[in-house]
Amino acid sequence: MQWMTLFKKEMLENWRNKKWVWFPLVIILLSILDPISSYYMPQIIDSVGGLPDGTVLELPDYTPPEVVIMSLGQLSSLGVLVIVLMSMGTIAGERKSGVAELVLVKPVSYKNYVTAKWASLILLVWISLFLGLFVGWYYINILFGDLTFLHLLQITFFYGLWLTLVVTLVIFYNTWIKTPGLVAFLTIATIMIMSLITQVFGHFLDWSPNKLSNHIFESLMTDQASTDLIATGSVTIFISVLLLVASIYCFRIRSRV
Amino acid sequence: MELLQEINWAIIAPILVIQGILIVIALIDWIRADETNGPKWLWLIIILFVSTLGPILYFIFGRRQR
Repeated sequence: MQWMTLFKKEMLENWRNKKWVWFPLVIILLSILDPISSYYMPQIIDSVGGLPDGTVLELPDYTPPEVVIMSLGQLSSLGVLVIVLMSMGTIAGERKSGVAELVLVKPVSYKNYVTAKWASLILLVWISLFLGLFVGWYYINILFGDLTFLHLLQITFFYGLWLTLVVTLVIFYNTWIKTPGLVAFLTIATIMIMSLITQVFGHFLDWSPNKLSNHIFESLMTDQASTDLIATGSVTIFISVLLLVASIYCFRIRSRV
Repeated sequence: MELLQEINWAIIAPILVIQGILIVIALIDWIRADETNGPKWLWLIIILFVSTLGPILYFIFGRRQR
C-alpha cells in the first residue's frame, strides 16, 4: 500500500519534529484557560485592584455550555492560528526545499501524496482536539456543573468538522502556492472573509460552517442535536471534500508545469 | 497571602505543568538542533523568557526544516 507508506512517513515526520507533543499541549492549554480564568475572575479582579471602594461587580454565573463556547472561541482564534502556522509549509515547504520533487520523481500518485499529508494532519488535529476538550470538560465538571460525556463527544465531533475545513483549506493553498507565509496569509484571509460574509448575509447562510459554534451552543442549551447543527455539519463536510478533490487537481496541474 | 490560599493549586497546577513540559521539550530540541532560523542564542532567550508563547514560537518558526 503506497498510501500507507506515505502516511507512515508523514506520521514519523510529525513525531520527529515534535508536532505530536507540542500541538496537543497547546490545544489543551487553550481549552482549559477560559474555564479556569472565568472561575477565578473574582479573585483576579481583587488582586489587580484599581476599582474604587464600594464598587459592586455583578459577575455572571456561567453555565457549562457558556464555558464550552468560550473555550471554542479560544480554539477558533488562537487554535486556528496555530493550526495554520503549523501546517503552512507541509507541501509548500517541501516543494521549496526540493523534497517534493524527490518524492514525486518516483511513481507516487499525486492523490496519495496529498491525501496522506491531509490525513496525518487531520489525525493530529482531531486527537489533540479531543484531548483538549476532554481536559476542559473535566474542569467544567469540577468548577461549573454537569456536562455529560455524550455532550463532549458531540462538541468534539462537530467542532472537529470546522477544524477539518481549516486544515483542508491550508492543504488546498499549499498545493498551488510555494511560499508558506503566503499560504498562511491566504488561509486566514479566507476564513475572515467567510465569517464576514456569514455575518452580513446571516439570514440566508444559516448553514455556513462559521456558524458551527453557534449551533453547537444552541443544541447544548436545548439538549438535543438540532437539524441546523447536523445540516451545518454536512455542509462543512461537503465543502471539505470538494476542497480536497480540488487540491489534488491543483497539485497535479502545478506539478506538471 | 490570603489570596494564595484561596486558590486551589490542584486546579492551577496542570497549566504550570504543561508550560513546563513545553519549555523542556523546546529546550531539548534547541540543544539538538544544528542551526535554527535566525541566531540560535536568540531562540534560547525566547524559549526561556517569553512565557508560554516562547516555546510555541520556537516550534513554529525557529525549527529549520530539513
